Amino acid sequence: MPKFFSSLNGGSDTETEDEIISSDEEISDGDISEEETESEREEDDVPKAPKPKGSRFTIGVSDEEESEGEDKRPVKSAKDKRLEALESCVKAIENAQKINDWVVIQNEFDKLNKIISKVPLKIPRLYIKTIASLEDFLNEALQKEKESKKKMNATQAKALNSMKQKIKKNNRLYEEEIEKWRQDPVEESEEESEDEVPKPKPSIEEPSDMASSPGSEFIPVGSKSIEYTSDNLFKKLREIMEARGKKNTDRLEQIKVLQKLLEVAATPYQKIRVLIALIPAQFDYNPSMSNYMNVDMWKSTQKEINQLLTILETNTQFMIHEIMEEDIDDKEPAIEPGQVFGIRGSIVSFIDRLDDEFTKSLQNIDPHTTDYVDRLKDETDLYDTIVRGQIYFEKNELNESTSRVVMRRLEHLYYKPDQVIQTVENTVQQLYPAGLDSKITSPTSGCDPTDLIHSLCVYLYKNGESLLRTRAMLCHIYHHALHNRFYVARDMLLMSHLQDNIHQSDVGTQILHNRTMVQVGLCAFREGMIKEAQSCLQEICGTGRAKELLAQGLQLQRYAQLPLEQEKLDRQRQLPFHMHINLELLECAYLTCSMLLEIPSMAAAGSNPEARKKVISKPFRRMLDYNERQVFSGPPENTRDHIMGAAKALAAGEWKRCQELISAIKIWDLMPETQKIKEMLNRKIQEEGLRTYLFTYSAYYETLGLEQLATMFSLPINAVTAIISKMIWNEELVASLDQVDNVVVLHRVEPTKVQQLSLMFAEKAASFVEANERTLELKQAAGQNQRDQQRQKG
Amino acid sequence: MASYDLIPRMIPYMDRHLVFPLLEFLSLNKIYPNHDLLKAKYELLAKTNMVDFISELYKQIHDTDEVPSEFASKRQEVLQTLENLQTEAQKVLDIIENPEVIAALRQDKLQNLHFLKEKYGLTDEMVNTLYQFGQFQYNCGNYGGASDMLYHFRVLSTDHELNLSALWGKLASDILDLNWDAALEEVQKLRETIDSKSFASPLHQLQQRTWFIHWSIFVFFNHPKGRDSIIDVFFNPSYINTIQTSCPWILRYLTTAVVTNKRRKNILKDLIKIIQQESYEYRDPITEFIESLYVKFDFEGAQHKLKECEEVLSNDFFLVATKMEFIENARYLISETYCRIHLKIDIGGLSQTLNLGQEEGEKWIVNLIRDTRVDAKIDFKENTVIMNQNHTSIYQQVIERTKGLSFRSQVLSSAIEKCEALQSSNAIDSIVE
Repeated sequence: MPKFFSSLNGGSDTETEDEIISSDEEISDGDISEEETESEREEDDVPKAPKPKGSRFTIGVSDEEESEGEDKRPVKSAKDKRLEALESCVKAIENAQKINDWVVIQNEFDKLNKIISKVPLKIPRLYIKTIASLEDFLNEALQKEKESKKKMNATQAKALNSMKQKIKKNNRLYEEEIEKWRQDPVEESEEESEDEVPKPKPSIEEPSDMASSPGSEFIPVGSKSIEYTSDNLFKKLREIMEARGKKNTDRLEQIKVLQKLLEVAATPYQKIRVLIALIPAQFDYNPSMSNYMNVDMWKSTQKEINQLLTILETNTQFMIHEIMEEDIDDKEPAIEPGQVFGIRGSIVSFIDRLDDEFTKSLQNIDPHTTDYVDRLKDETDLYDTIVRGQIYFEKNELNESTSRVVMRRLEHLYYKPDQVIQTVENTVQQLYPAGLDSKITSPTSGCDPTDLIHSLCVYLYKNGESLLRTRAMLCHIYHHALHNRFYVARDMLLMSHLQDNIHQSDVGTQILHNRTMVQVGLCAFREGMIKEAQSCLQEICGTGRAKELLAQGLQLQRYAQLPLEQEKLDRQRQLPFHMHINLELLECAYLTCSMLLEIPSMAAAGSNPEARKKVISKPFRRMLDYNERQVFSGPPENTRDHIMGAAKALAAGEWKRCQELISAIKIWDLMPETQKIKEMLNRKIQEEGLRTYLFTYSAYYETLGLEQLATMFSLPINAVTAIISKMIWNEELVASLDQVDNVVVLHRVEPTKVQQLSLMFAEKAASFVEANERTLELKQAAGQNQRDQQRQKG
Repeated sequence: MASYDLIPRMIPYMDRHLVFPLLEFLSLNKIYPNHDLLKAKYELLAKTNMVDFISELYKQIHDTDEVPSEFASKRQEVLQTLENLQTEAQKVLDIIENPEVIAALRQDKLQNLHFLKEKYGLTDEMVNTLYQFGQFQYNCGNYGGASDMLYHFRVLSTDHELNLSALWGKLASDILDLNWDAALEEVQKLRETIDSKSFASPLHQLQQRTWFIHWSIFVFFNHPKGRDSIIDVFFNPSYINTIQTSCPWILRYLTTAVVTNKRRKNILKDLIKIIQQESYEYRDPITEFIESLYVKFDFEGAQHKLKECEEVLSNDFFLVATKMEFIENARYLISETYCRIHLKIDIGGLSQTLNLGQEEGEKWIVNLIRDTRVDAKIDFKENTVIMNQNHTSIYQQVIERTKGLSFRSQVLSSAIEKCEALQSSNAIDSIVE
């Protein structure tokens, strides 16, 4: 168990799979934006280049492009230089075309565009020719790629795809010229038509440039002077999308713009597009991992996700898919009735993120304030969103998303008592529109939380991937344990073989596993199965790191200072306060179980040194030793004191005092049906008291009256007989019953000092002989080898 | 009593034909209404080819002599198919039963098949007709014939799936044919096959094992050696797991087998553990008897349970025959436990616990002492039994522990001597060389 926290240093495996998936997406987004920033930087470089042209000798050759290789001809007009560069680029592209090397083509193409952007007024014909032929070639290549079974290698394919986008975008600007060239390709390139083709405004091409450099001559997009109408909505949207994730982007500004856009959006399609941009923008607002999202923003985001779901529910012709080709058309798509139009996006990641942000906020708010309670009230809304999402995914048969959302739903339910689940379910059912029913959870099952959890889990067992199945199983077991169904929980735990490989799973799941084990242990305790309870709790409580293992607080590391990273990760994994299992109650239950098992076994061991070594619960022994070493022991103050006092009383046969002390522990009140549990404990104390008494004092009696024992421990005589019979049968007690006189006849005699010593002596002699034998064996084996070697030599 | 009847729970795991004897047994016992049983029988057999028997049942149920014409046509059809299959199968049989062929057959199946194909024109289809014929005969209720056919098929065929089915079929035929020796053999083979075969899903294997457990009970409680085998097989971890997961009621049979088996007392501890584990899922008087005797040490409760056991056993198809034996052995268990715990026993009390009269009880105890199952004496004046306790004293313990030491030391010293002798002789050898 303690191993797993140390294995957490690797960052990514600490998050749950869901998070990984969503963060993957973010990463890929990041990649794209990075690419963009790169190209942007290049573009930035470009305008500088022409300036030093005249005085380049004074500045040096450093900012010269190597490929140009024109050092020999120092004097040259800027125009000629450009032309030359242009030609070399074109040549490179043509060469690359021959060998189908798209990476080179892409690079050269970028270079080409750079040069062109410097051309003051007219576009060289050569350029038009190149891009036109490139477009043809690209189409051809795409065609081939589609037909051929063999895939291109990844970098090539990537380059090809990005080329496709670029050319499409680029060529639109020069449509006219390309058309012209196509009609009359033979026209000499030198014969450049003098009527100047004005360079198209690069407003669409380089929106990022403008957004990031507010000082430029163009009006910044974000400025309020621009009117937002549903007509230019797509254009604005694109601008914002491209600015996303860049430096110097004002996120708040973006969110505001998007909200305005949402207001003006007229058609469902527009709304969906805006929402898909707006929701991540709000999530992005807070870039740091440790801070949580502003509550108001969270609420508005939650509403927007709901709005998105509503739009999708009513307009079934739209579908949001994760795997969908990016649609570049900035037009309202023409949708034929009955056809489903796909839009790229991922609602499930929105919901995941929303849930994570909620948890994060709970982790950070002080649980003892009203803020926490207020925040907790939002869970119903969140739950509503999750349920809606589930129904939506289910209807559209997005299986992977459905299982993820079902898992989220389950994680909001499994630890709650029935009444809470019921209230939440009822509210949620009223919240979402009628007619939306889930197949996974039939509407009738909403009445019974156990059925609801069962159906959710069964869905995950059938459809989820293995991680989700494991987690669902653990939640299911937890729920059973919470409802005192110990046998069901135990059987599920054993049959799933979860414990065998839980150490290989991620930390989140291990924490859930620990929680489940503890809950099963508490369940056994409530049911009066002391031994089972002890063995379930041992693993967690025995280490003394229960707090850490249950992710309910950070343990202060005394010696090894944890690296900051690790601490941060640990902090992120903490459970929100309302999910905590009461640690004091847990310890109390564990120690009580240990007492009931350890004290009789200590008494049974007596003075036998071998048997004394057998320890059931180390922490309990340690505490008891510590307690006994104290010179004065005052009246018990805390739970531990109570239990230690009770243990000493039990060992001395004072079962009544033991009962009093145990009953006086206040923390029992946190358990349901306190009275029943106390009665159970009282009975156990009586029984174990009897056993301890017999173990301790049997050596000093010849016979013991059964009735006497029964009155001493106020147990029915049958129970006394049964307990004693069991002890005799298991050879714990050397005695027999006398049915006629109703007494226990004890045969055991405490060995005298001499006898004890002689026994020990016999033992030692035996082990001595054994050691001798072993030595001889070893020697013989060695001698054998020597002889063999000698013989071989001989 | 119906609440302890396991047959409804077991039927889903049985073949139609195997269920029939169970229903027959139920109609003798009159736990359920007769008419319902007849209907059940009719529905059970309606899908088999035992047309004559079905029409007989139909008459009984509907109280008429009229039989629907479909029975006649079905009968015709069955006879026709039977004849066809017979002629087909005969061809194969002719080949196999040829003495020359028998002499030429070897251990290797593939080689045999190859040989037969080359010399006698045997084809795979022909071999498969044996299987079909066997199955058909089984469906008609001719179990002996089916068993023969399936035996021949298994000798020849190399198809694993069909072989497994044939194995099941042969087991069922042997059971219904009351041929217990053959059936026990089949049970062993089937078990090996199920254990060694790799199933696609664990669930499938579990299912096969469950079926196997149910079918094998027929054999285990009817073959004289069966009760040893049932313990061997069912206490195997994989089978005990199967029982615990899918059919805890089998514990009744397992318990009975353990109780009635005098030589396998050491297995009792495992059984107690399992019964305790499963007590929340399955309990009946028989498992409760063991529980109250060995877990609760409640002798009176055990005695009550024993009375109930009698009734349950006499209503159980498989256990009827073992009833007396069970009661007898259960008494032994009670008295053994009782004697081990007690020093002085009132004879009256013990006889009551054993469900016997005063005189009978005394006789029982005398027999018990005579069989040297317990070391005790009867005190006639006080009407008690006094156990002789023989606890090892500490002197004894010391003696026990040191007994072997001198012998072991002797062995040690002689070994050393031998070693030295060898070394010195070696040294001499090397000098001589």
